[in-house]
Amino acid sequence: MLEVQDLSVSYGGLRALQGVTLRVAAGQFVTVVGPNGAGKTTLFKTISGVVSPASGTVQWDGASLLKRPSSARAHLGIAHVPEGRQVFRTLTVQENLEMGAYPRAGRSQWARTLDRIHALFPILKERADQLAGTLSGGEQQMLAIGRGLACAPRLLMLDEPSMGLAPAVAETIFDRIAQIHKEDGLAILLVEQRVAEALELSDHGYVLDTGRMVLEGGYQTLLADDRVRRSYLGLGEA
Amino acid sequence: MFENILNAVAAGLIIGCIYGLMCIGLGLIFGIMKVVNFAQGELLMLGMYVSLYLVAGFTAIGFLGPYAAPFVAALIAGPVLFGGGALLHRFVLRHVSGLSTASRQDEGGFGQLIVTLGISLILQNGGLILFGSTPESVLTPLSASAFILGPFPTGALLFLNKAQVFAAVVAIVVAVVLWLVMERTTLGKALRAAADNPVAATYMGIDVDRAYRIAFGLGAAITAIAGGLMATYLSFTPFVGLDYVIIMYSGVVLGGMGSILGAFWGGLLVGFVQQASTLVLPPQLQNAAIFVVFLLIVGLRPQGLFGRSAERA
Ligand SMILES: Nc1ncnc2c1ncn2[C@@H]1O[C@H](COP(=O)(O)OP(=O)(O)OP(=O)(O)O)[C@@H](O)[C@H]1O
Ligand SMILES: [Mg+2]
Repeated sequence: MLEVQDLSVSYGGLRALQGVTLRVAAGQFVTVVGPNGAGKTTLFKTISGVVSPASGTVQWDGASLLKRPSSARAHLGIAHVPEGRQVFRTLTVQENLEMGAYPRAGRSQWARTLDRIHALFPILKERADQLAGTLSGGEQQMLAIGRGLACAPRLLMLDEPSMGLAPAVAETIFDRIAQIHKEDGLAILLVEQRVAEALELSDHGYVLDTGRMVLEGGYQTLLADDRVRRSYLGLGEA
Repeated sequence: MFENILNAVAAGLIIGCIYGLMCIGLGLIFGIMKVVNFAQGELLMLGMYVSLYLVAGFTAIGFLGPYAAPFVAALIAGPVLFGGGALLHRFVLRHVSGLSTASRQDEGGFGQLIVTLGISLILQNGGLILFGSTPESVLTPLSASAFILGPFPTGALLFLNKAQVFAAVVAIVVAVVLWLVMERTTLGKALRAAADNPVAATYMGIDVDRAYRIAFGLGAAITAIAGGLMATYLSFTPFVGLDYVIIMYSGVVLGGMGSILGAFWGGLLVGFVQQASTLVLPPQLQNAAIFVVFLLIVGLRPQGLFGRSAERA
């Protein structure tokens, strides 16, 4: 479904990504982990067309995404829940969700997706008329995810959804993401710093470090790897 | 004396409604694109001339009779300037605003300053060549007649210029329609989303460049309609924009930058102050009076009278 091949990105002279390759199949749960500044957000922005790569390809259903304007992604079924939530602060919660449903698929399935979003995050129904900028951090994250779901996507990209949240709230968010993956059969591409929780949920994981994919594999493979255990999990040698 | 006050207050409210509409045009462009448009006065001027030529040049509109034609022409100036504004954005402004400059340190502010000032000068002097410097106005029998109300206590009579009254009614209707479009329709919400967070709006599938083009076109159209309405009761030259650009900025800042309702109330307040000041000040000092009130309010409430905050307290 999504295929990133040999992708390199530079900001001015600085190399942020170097020869990155990644695949997400339909309904698959894929996680990318890596330290700060590894290039995870850059990878997402490149897939979303906000940053242009120096070389490499990004394909969606076998067709190149790079030629399409960045606003085409949502219409093609790719939802991007960005780092730092980025809700529309001056719009109400309900209007934020409506904007998520801007693409045609979102509009035609609006009644059903709205019910689903409210079932996952009941607080969004309670706060429907509140300005999104006045929500708490956790509520904003729920809104950002709900807004992503509103376009009825086939792939949900989540950039550090647990960032800055209390452990209990982060856990709720992870539970919901797992639920979305299981019950809605949505493919998920997740970037996380909470490596253990993230890898546990996923079918396949990648480790990104200073712009390169240094490791990939299933949950067991990654957890067994000494580098992952030491750097990200704070555990000793396997 | 009471009669003078009564008439100044009424005239202030009526002219204020038209100023309110004029300010909404500027407020829309600033609120959505964050572009400070120095050419807004010239968009007002173009609205006046479009209206003038429509009434003079097209029998189709002349057919509506001398009463309705000027107001219909003012409304048609809207779509005409929407097209003009959209083209101006497509070929000029998009290069100094929006996503193309978002990453620059000044967010394109200097470029916008120079470009919009340049557009303003070109339109003024182009207007001089095309339209000439003779003062014009869109004559209607209503311009020279008044509704007379009263007598009020002390025998005071209230004179309401008919052209101004009808212009104010049209202005209010247009403002309400625009407000409904911005609040209730998907287009309006998408424009507000693009203003709030352009990158996130792109992730939602909103073409932000197109949203800005529509916003600029709408802002031009709204101010142009206000211009067409004003043309029914005052005379103008290609330099008329200079007189009103200050009023528009005062109104928009007073209203709290970027809220449509705020811009309307700001414009209304400015029109009111301007007319009320004629009671105690010579007409040359009208704009000075506006500025004194402006400084007072901005000093006391820097967020503007109607600015609201979407941040957590
Ligand atoms: N707009 C930019 N201009 C210049 N350099 C940038 C820009 N955005 C990111 N970078 C650099 O690219 C590198 C990768 O950044 P990126 O945001 O992708 O990392 P990340 O893995 O998402 O980090 P974090 O976990 O902290 O979010 C960093 O060194 C960063 O400084
Ligand atoms: Mg990041």
